[in-house]
Amino acid sequence: MPAKNQTHRIDDLLGSVTEELLLGNPQQFEDNSIRVERLLLEMVRPDPVQPRRVLPEQLHFAFHSNRLTPTQALKELVQLVQVAARQRGRPFNNVLELLANPDDEGEEDQSFHLSPEEQLLHDLVNLAITIRDDGQVNPLTVVDVSQGVTQQFRIETGERRYWATWLLRDFIAGYNSDGMIPCIIIPAERSSVFRQAKENTARTGLSAIAMARQAALLLLTVHGYELPSHAVSNDFYRQALNLDLRGKREYTESILTAMGGIKKAHFSEIKALLKLSDEALELADRHALEEKRLRYVVTLPQEFHTEIIRQIIDFNLTSKQVKELCAGDGLDSGRQDDEVEHLPALAIKLAKIAQVSNTTTAQDLAQAMMRQEGDANLARARLQAMRKLLTEAERYLTEG
Amino acid sequence: MTRVFVFTNHKGGVGKSTSATNTALGIAGMLRRAGAPNARVLLIDTDSQAHATLVTTGKKDYGTDDSLYTVLMADRQNAAQTLLNCIVQSTWDADLHVLPASPMLEGAERELMGIAGAPYRLADPLSRIINRYAAIVIDTRPSFSLMTEMGLIAATDAIVPVEPRYLETVGLMSVIGKINDIREGWRQPNLRVSGILVTKMNTRIRGHNHLLDELKGHSVLGKLLLGVVPANEAVSYAHQNHQSIFNYDPKASASKAYAQFVGKLVQRIANGGA
Repeated sequence: MPAKNQTHRIDDLLGSVTEELLLGNPQQFEDNSIRVERLLLEMVRPDPVQPRRVLPEQLHFAFHSNRLTPTQALKELVQLVQVAARQRGRPFNNVLELLANPDDEGEEDQSFHLSPEEQLLHDLVNLAITIRDDGQVNPLTVVDVSQGVTQQFRIETGERRYWATWLLRDFIAGYNSDGMIPCIIIPAERSSVFRQAKENTARTGLSAIAMARQAALLLLTVHGYELPSHAVSNDFYRQALNLDLRGKREYTESILTAMGGIKKAHFSEIKALLKLSDEALELADRHALEEKRLRYVVTLPQEFHTEIIRQIIDFNLTSKQVKELCAGDGLDSGRQDDEVEHLPALAIKLAKIAQVSNTTTAQDLAQAMMRQEGDANLARARLQAMRKLLTEAERYLTEG
Repeated sequence: MTRVFVFTNHKGGVGKSTSATNTALGIAGMLRRAGAPNARVLLIDTDSQAHATLVTTGKKDYGTDDSLYTVLMADRQNAAQTLLNCIVQSTWDADLHVLPASPMLEGAERELMGIAGAPYRLADPLSRIINRYAAIVIDTRPSFSLMTEMGLIAATDAIVPVEPRYLETVGLMSVIGKINDIREGWRQPNLRVSGILVTKMNTRIRGHNHLLDELKGHSVLGKLLLGVVPANEAVSYAHQNHQSIFNYDPKASASKAYAQFVGKLVQRIANGGA
């Protein structure tokens, strides 16, 4: 590397010629316009802190820590889906088999039961085929983050198109690609978390958890936090739980607009979802559970989150049912610390019921539960919660 | 469209590498000075002697996995990524990137001979990353070999450096004719002879002056004259010290001549046309 003074000497010489060149049109090189270019696919990378995650969490982290190449990440995804599909009795060898055959009857019903991973791959294959047949009509939006000889572009919007293009290139036979992808290139200094948020929230299908991450990113940004260039754990987003809009009133409107024009109260509810445990966050994100079904879960201690969310998924509970379920769980769980000195009345009641449990039948209990809850799914969820409580109680007894 | 300047002449010692390296650095410096958003320039060394590589990167021990040879031998699908992986930053300037040559290139010509599409093994991957650079400069070996053909096929502008003693119009016309043959033969309509750069000009030698006057007066070649670089010992010393002429002695007459020459190329980059 030349010494600084030497660089200046070169610049003086070249500068004198440059000034001659620029006479009459000094702005001819200062082109800061946003450009659309075809970029080599390998030069483009998804944003590791993008709230809307495409890959399942495990693959997301493996890919962003460079343990997997894009092709390997997709290969793992395909294998994951193959296992899930085989378990559901619809094995496939080629990803194209995932697409519904219009001649097959009952295909629409089947797609209703696709697992999140199956649905993801199905959507990616569908997108890949659209790109193959009609071309990439919508360019990706990327930020130029090149440094030195390392030329790299971080995706601001269009990660699904990125993965679909890889899928097309490496997993769909007979497609000849030049390995390029059209991109709108934004200079690094013009990159904006607000634009990304607007793009995200303007589209359908953004999960409540992705919205929560998005809210966190906006809050962290306006509070001066630096957004990392690597994949981050949920704790990074949880830092936003200690921040609020009041601290940065000048940004309140921009943030709420970027979040899709929501109200302040709803913003807080969305942000509060980050209180969910890691596992619960992943489950809720994968299954795209809505905020109204999750808001009651965050009121419970973290150790109950996953279980409740599983019940929401398994029994497709409504927000009202979740509210009732969580109210019940709150009673059970909130009083664990003082179990010895001041036993809750409810615990004493349950203990008495256990004494006479052999005096009733399973059928009677089921009917009673149905009468009480008015819904089979909610009744099952109640029993599952009870089973968990009994298992825990037994464990306490075993451990003395 | 990114301009790709190839410095070519089948005669050795006419200043191809010196001109290519200093031009590449000069373009980067001028574009930066002019406030261009992208001032990156890629220098591609296709000469197995690797002089341009040595002076701009300080080393010449590039081999099978980090040089132009690697790119030429890569699978078609991976060639562009391989090209990106092989590019190194010059020690001269952060905006000057180098695709190094390797002595292995000598053998590459034999290995590639007869392989379908061999002449496009540089142009193809380069076309996929070309937008990332404001300009590309290719240094060629002193012959019209397969490697030089690859450089010409990848280029938009051929520049012929020439010593005054080789200035006879017949010799120059033959070089230009060869470039035209490649343009027609390989159907590269974007390739054109963009200029002649006279190097090592000694105004005290009457023959040099006479031949230069003759060149200027020629109906075709006269219009192609882009610059005259005087014979200057600063050029040799700069080369020996692995420095650019601008860096070694910015006040030298050769430095000023190269700066004027680079200025004309930068103007073409800015105008996008001739």
